[in-house]
Amino acid sequence: MRRAGATVVMAMRSLLSAGGRSALTSLGILIGIAAVVVVTALGTGARQNVADQIQSLGQNLIFVFYQPVAKSGARGVRGGGGGLSDRDARAIAREAPAVEESSVYSDVRTQVVSEVGNARVQIVGADVNYFRVRGFRVAQGREFTESEQQTKAKVALIGQTAIDKLFPGLDPVGRYLRIGKHPYRVIGTLQPKGQSPFEDQDDRIIMPIGSWRARVAPTRGDRVQLVLVTAKSAHQIPAATRQIDAILRQRRGFVEGEEPDFRIRTQDEFQRSQDAIFGILTALLIGVATISLFVGGVGVMNIMLVSVTERTREIGIRMAIGARPADIQLQFLVEAVTITLFGGVMGTALAVGVIELLKAQLGWSMALSPSAVGVALVTSLVVGVTFGFWPARRAATLDPIEALRHE
Amino acid sequence: MAELIRLRDVSKDYASGPEIVRALRNVDLDVGAGELVAVVGASGSGKSTLMNILGCLDRPTSGSYHLAEVDVTRRAADERALVRNRMIGFVFQGFNLLARTTALDNVELPLVYRGVGRSERKRRAARALEAVGLSDRVLHTPAQLSGGQQQRVAIARALVTSPPLLLADEPTGNLDTKTSYDVLAVLQSLAREHGITVLIVTHEPEIAACTERIITVRDGRIERDERVDSPRDARQLALELGAS
Ligand SMILES: Nc1ncnc2c1ncn2[C@@H]1O[C@H](COP(=O)(O)OP(=O)(O)O)[C@@H](O)[C@H]1O
Ligand SMILES: [Mg+2]
Repeated sequence: MRRAGATVVMAMRSLLSAGGRSALTSLGILIGIAAVVVVTALGTGARQNVADQIQSLGQNLIFVFYQPVAKSGARGVRGGGGGLSDRDARAIAREAPAVEESSVYSDVRTQVVSEVGNARVQIVGADVNYFRVRGFRVAQGREFTESEQQTKAKVALIGQTAIDKLFPGLDPVGRYLRIGKHPYRVIGTLQPKGQSPFEDQDDRIIMPIGSWRARVAPTRGDRVQLVLVTAKSAHQIPAATRQIDAILRQRRGFVEGEEPDFRIRTQDEFQRSQDAIFGILTALLIGVATISLFVGGVGVMNIMLVSVTERTREIGIRMAIGARPADIQLQFLVEAVTITLFGGVMGTALAVGVIELLKAQLGWSMALSPSAVGVALVTSLVVGVTFGFWPARRAATLDPIEALRHE
Repeated sequence: MAELIRLRDVSKDYASGPEIVRALRNVDLDVGAGELVAVVGASGSGKSTLMNILGCLDRPTSGSYHLAEVDVTRRAADERALVRNRMIGFVFQGFNLLARTTALDNVELPLVYRGVGRSERKRRAARALEAVGLSDRVLHTPAQLSGGQQQRVAIARALVTSPPLLLADEPTGNLDTKTSYDVLAVLQSLAREHGITVLIVTHEPEIAACTERIITVRDGRIERDERVDSPRDARQLALELGAS
């Protein structure tokens, strides 16, 4: 143990005496590790971001949307001849035990005019449940009422992005905006909700679905683009999904096993598909990282081989005075590992600097996980052992007489 | 006197391309403890080959080698390293000190491989340097030392482990006459005062004349093995040269 300790000290010394070269050699590892840590932090940050966005949609949310069957002839005959409806939404809320609440939704992006400007904004028609189901909160003013929905009142709520476009610097509540030839009174503003996986959730105007169907995008009957449902709890989502499927099949005339004209998607599925994308990205990154560390490792091996050749005589001297092959091997292995570990530590430090800079300067969301740092350091150690092994082995198996005669 | 070295019928072959070179042929040799021996002979006669085998750096092709009554003929690399570390000190023509390493650190090195603790190493290395008269050069690196001083550091390194055997292959080959006698004086005192067996390869008769026994090697055989009746005193010779 003592001789191992002393061997480590000697390895450090000879590295220090070749300081510049050791540092240069570790550069390859440094850059590889720094890249891995930065990109991992970027990935972790982006993943967290998307998870937050998906979470911002609401809780235990289930989306039901109309998707006509491609089979010719079948279209129009079944499924009530078109999309989902208010009645479908109500039936789901009424009949599915695992469902908490349902809501309807339609949207169109169109030109909106205010007293000071005009802009294209997402116009959403929804029912009174929509705010709860999707977690929209009123900042100022109020939501629309059941009776305003019945009477197709010309009222609307407006999100922050839309306010910035249409009422910059003004209090929009009580003011009017015009869509097509109809004026609508702003009765409330929405608390900012940020980005969803699909869109800016604040770039919208919400009005009663009746008003939307009557004037914004004239629609037959009580059709809607989307039915939004919340399950009673997270673990009731699968049950709710099954119940919704059964109810809609029954209402729209599709038997079990037949392809229906609607699709049901849960928030979980969005999360899973995002996870799958990040899984692919992560695999790609690991591939790139592996290649860069491999290149760095080959650099270390190269320098170690040069070092063994240059120091052949030193090796011979050490052997003559009693160094065992294992002592020589340990010394060169420690040198290689020190180079790569140094690269790993400096690479991690560089990465932390870069991450802080990107966060501060560009506002990127990045998350440096302690486990990423741990993996980086362990990796640099493993690279050192792997690529240092052969040169160290070569040093250890030199013939002492040949080595002493060298150069 | 107990034999320290006992070679019996030792031969060493080298494969040199398609031919086989017989560097040693059926050598028998006994050397007692505390003997100071010169090995002389023409270049290529097999002196270094003999020293390498005696130093456990190499193994004989045939025959046997007992060192301090232990058969070390066919040991594995690890065991030979152990024997070298415990039993043998080496002094080379080219000094073979580690560059950019202080005299003290050079002398310490055999103790590192023996597993001696740091402070004990420093103490013993300093004492060995004192024994060769270099107490005032402890922190000098080889580049800052003269040839004679470097060779004395090498001797200190060889004896820091208190080995019973010291092998010196042309230790004065790179030194001037006066310095050669200085170095030789150290080797003489090791044999006389410390009972260390010292073998010196040399081709200089003046050097051989300072030893007690001269072994002449020729074509891989021991051609002659003779006692020196009155070995000359190297310290005295050095003093005379210094005075003139
Ligand atoms: N590694 C080797 N490979 C082949 N031949 C060798 C080797 N070492 C020594 N020899 C040969 O063995 C003979 C003795 O060499 P050596 O012991 O070095 O002689 P000396 O030291 O007396 O000059 C020489 O002929 C030399 O060429
Ligand atoms: Mg020779």
